[in-house]
Amino acid sequence: MHTFPRSVYSMSNIEDSHICVVMVGLPARGKSLIAQKIVRYLKWLSVNAKSFNVGSYRRADTPHPTADFFDTGNLEGERLRRAAAEAAVNDMLRWFEHEGGHVGILDATNSTRSRRAWIEERCKSKGYDVMFVESKCDDEDLIMNNILEVKTTSPDYVGQDPEVAARDFRDRIRNYEKVYETIDEPHLTYVKLINVSSQVIINQVSNYLQTRIIYFAMNLHITPRSIWLSRHGESEFNVLGKLGGDASLSPRGLAYAEALPGLVKDSVGDKDITLWTSTMKRTIQTAKHLTYPKKQWKALDELDAGVCDGLTYKEIEKKYPEDFRARDDDKYNYRYQGGESYRDVVIRLEPIIMEMERGSDIMVVTHQAILRCIYAYFMNVPQDQSPWMEIPLHTVIKLTPRAYGTQEERFKANIPAVSTFRAKYTSANMGGEAAIFDAERAKLPISGAQANGVITINGDVEAVPQKVGAVSVVGSLGSNGGTLVVE
Amino acid sequence: MARAVVDWFGFHADYEYEYSSNDAPVSRLRRRSNVNIDAIHDFPVDSEMAPAQLYSTESGRLFHSGKIAIVTVGLPARGKTHVSVALSRYLRWLGVKTRAFHLGDYRRAHMGHGNDVPHDYFFVDASPSSVKLRQTILQKCRFDLYHFLDHEMGQVAIYDAVNPTAEGRKQLSKEFLKHEIQTIFIESYVDDPKIIEQNVRSVKISSPDYQGWNPNDAVQDYIRRMGAKIPHFETMDEHELNYIKMINAGERIIVNNCRFGYLPNRIVFYLMNLHIKSRQTYFARAGASTGEDSYKADGLLCDEGESYSQRLCNALLEHRRKEREEFIKQGGSDEELKPLTVWTSTRRRTVQTAAHLQERGFKVKQRPQMSQMNPGNSEMTEEEFKAHYPADWDKHQLDPYHHRFPRGESYHDLAVRMEPIILELEREKNDLLIIAHESVLRVLYGYLMACSTSDIPSLEFPRNKIVEILPESYNNRAKRIPIPHTDTNGAYVP
Repeated sequence: MHTFPRSVYSMSNIEDSHICVVMVGLPARGKSLIAQKIVRYLKWLSVNAKSFNVGSYRRADTPHPTADFFDTGNLEGERLRRAAAEAAVNDMLRWFEHEGGHVGILDATNSTRSRRAWIEERCKSKGYDVMFVESKCDDEDLIMNNILEVKTTSPDYVGQDPEVAARDFRDRIRNYEKVYETIDEPHLTYVKLINVSSQVIINQVSNYLQTRIIYFAMNLHITPRSIWLSRHGESEFNVLGKLGGDASLSPRGLAYAEALPGLVKDSVGDKDITLWTSTMKRTIQTAKHLTYPKKQWKALDELDAGVCDGLTYKEIEKKYPEDFRARDDDKYNYRYQGGESYRDVVIRLEPIIMEMERGSDIMVVTHQAILRCIYAYFMNVPQDQSPWMEIPLHTVIKLTPRAYGTQEERFKANIPAVSTFRAKYTSANMGGEAAIFDAERAKLPISGAQANGVITINGDVEAVPQKVGAVSVVGSLGSNGGTLVVE
Repeated sequence: MARAVVDWFGFHADYEYEYSSNDAPVSRLRRRSNVNIDAIHDFPVDSEMAPAQLYSTESGRLFHSGKIAIVTVGLPARGKTHVSVALSRYLRWLGVKTRAFHLGDYRRAHMGHGNDVPHDYFFVDASPSSVKLRQTILQKCRFDLYHFLDHEMGQVAIYDAVNPTAEGRKQLSKEFLKHEIQTIFIESYVDDPKIIEQNVRSVKISSPDYQGWNPNDAVQDYIRRMGAKIPHFETMDEHELNYIKMINAGERIIVNNCRFGYLPNRIVFYLMNLHIKSRQTYFARAGASTGEDSYKADGLLCDEGESYSQRLCNALLEHRRKEREEFIKQGGSDEELKPLTVWTSTRRRTVQTAAHLQERGFKVKQRPQMSQMNPGNSEMTEEEFKAHYPADWDKHQLDPYHHRFPRGESYHDLAVRMEPIILELEREKNDLLIIAHESVLRVLYGYLMACSTSDIPSLEFPRNKIVEILPESYNNRAKRIPIPHTDTNGAYVP
């Protein structure tokens, strides 16, 4: 059984905290992407959410169907698809009832009135709220882009010739178009996102959590883009092993700042990217040589260590032994005296997350704790792990959201730095062996930035990590809570 | 334009009016820290953080959202002023420097008391003199609006006017863009005559013009007069403009082209929870519990607390009954009172305090976010605390709103954590009684009455009174309902 920690924006009412979010729309409209993102966002806010993808139920019987399978005239196909929908709905209802589920997402086309009426009836009979989320799009470029994406990442087309797959997928869409009815049932609770929210229609919302989900979904778009994350270069405080402060970069940190434009050059290419930093010296100095348009965000400032600001971990252990222990017991919720907890940071990052979702290609230069929270959001890392993740210095992490998970690449600059990673219940992190270890790793040969770009896909729909190109794949961080792999 | 605050039960009314100039008494009401008056039209001190503000910046602006003008669209009695005031309440709560500019205020100020505008003032083909008058009034309002955004670190200006034509709206948007201001139109569109009638009844016909009228006749007369006064109105359908259209008090919302920043979507988020119907909110303390008021113990009601809860229930129901009688006597309709819903926290005392109301058939909901402020290590008497933690005590005195005792929460933490409650409070359509700890009542009252962070920690909610917040479109009004035979601690007084 799961245990549910205190939520940030927790359910405001225990009685009616079950919402079934039903996706609506033709294939290649970004439904799975939106469903994934809603799950990730709600989990990040400590709301128990899960997506039920009808396609993956159907694949159990029909792993690689052709477009004919989706023809309305195909009775056997119709029967199997209906059975898959029923199995998904049954599982979702069971999950609400027995596993403390709060927001279940039914990810399928649900493109006819009769299908929607059936789902509504099933959920209402158990007393659960239903909210439909339709993604409606007639922008050909965007659809084409999605088709290309799907043919390369969808399990339906594994191992097939991409050209054949694309053609088949377009035929499948045509079969759906024959029966597609856009949502306009006046009594239903729904949000219709038209052409990536250039227009949004919201109908009959009935509680706070629904409005929160809609608010989030309105910030989403399905245009491909990437996010580059970097910590600031090594700072004078890092070298001394001190927390917080507003120190300048160390000589090695300055070297990283100089190397940064070259490190990201290939992966950025000619994209129009925006650079965000915090308001602290070390991130601004790190971004100094990058020529992209810049924004400084106060919300990206490092976690405030309160009375411990400017101390080393050893000093904290000596001066505040109880706090030192308490922090390691529950690092996510621990709040420094006069300072912040990870939970507090997550709340203050709300505008950042919304703006990252709304925006396109963005590079963020910020701090360790902040990056842990942002990374945890995109990679679905559970709260008990996210504050312990190692986010190394002098490394750029590139995240690319995909329909079935987020793709990650890492680019390490060949510049040694101290490690600021500290294992649980230890105060030894800086200088000495750790620093040498990290410097050793940094000496690994790299020919061009791409060489050490490890690609990971965090696939939580299918709960099976997928292979991408020839690069090996590291475990999933999905709800099963796999081990955390760095590099 | 005196907005007299009716002071029924011992409120002090030591506020003063301050007019910007002789001919424009445009809601420049400043108060001297009188928390009994809704401060939504006050000008807050610039350096002060708002109650739920997460961080502050030197420019005074937040979220890289730039300068925004929110322009209302809609015929009279569609709740435009209500939306303007409610939205500025919420944005200010978040720390966004927001001010509402009600064109009607400027019009009334310009015309002087008792003088109406010419009959063709709102006509598309108005006479030259009327057009000139319109321009004069508009200019004054715009001047203040630009001044706020350009020279007073303002970020959101809400321009509350009818704005009935598509052409006018396009011009307005263009003009604002020249000043580097993004425009979002918010239209309140109603095609359900019941909602219009209800609105007219609750906000428009209380004026002296309709004294002695049969309320139904008054409503019909008002609607007829408005129809003649503003015969030309085009609902929003301009695809190139950024707009939010709320249809029938939020039943359906259409959001067009609002993807240009963090704030527009945040505003939509708020508007999804707002409705334009009015209802009452009551605040009451939970009864006293057994033993001390310990946070960790989560004690049950003591006998005294139990008898307090009975008296609270009776006092509230009696008050509501009398209000209705009074309303009917003054010519109001004899429709039933709005249903009353009760919210408590999940703390046992608050739940038990609501028990009598639940027995009487009222719906009671428990809301976990309404748990009192966690006092952390400060749960001891003032003297004990000063002896143990002198440094913390001094810090607390300096900023009681933001200071947090070791392992505890501050009022600011409480305000941020209660965000869902604030929005649910806006959503609720029934009358609402909130039974909670004093710390929670302080924050919620602070929201509804736009109190400053320096006022909130010292707001008082003695147990011998229920606080009632009456929504009016221009500001909220607080009054206190005495609970008979009860002292400030909730004990019985024969």
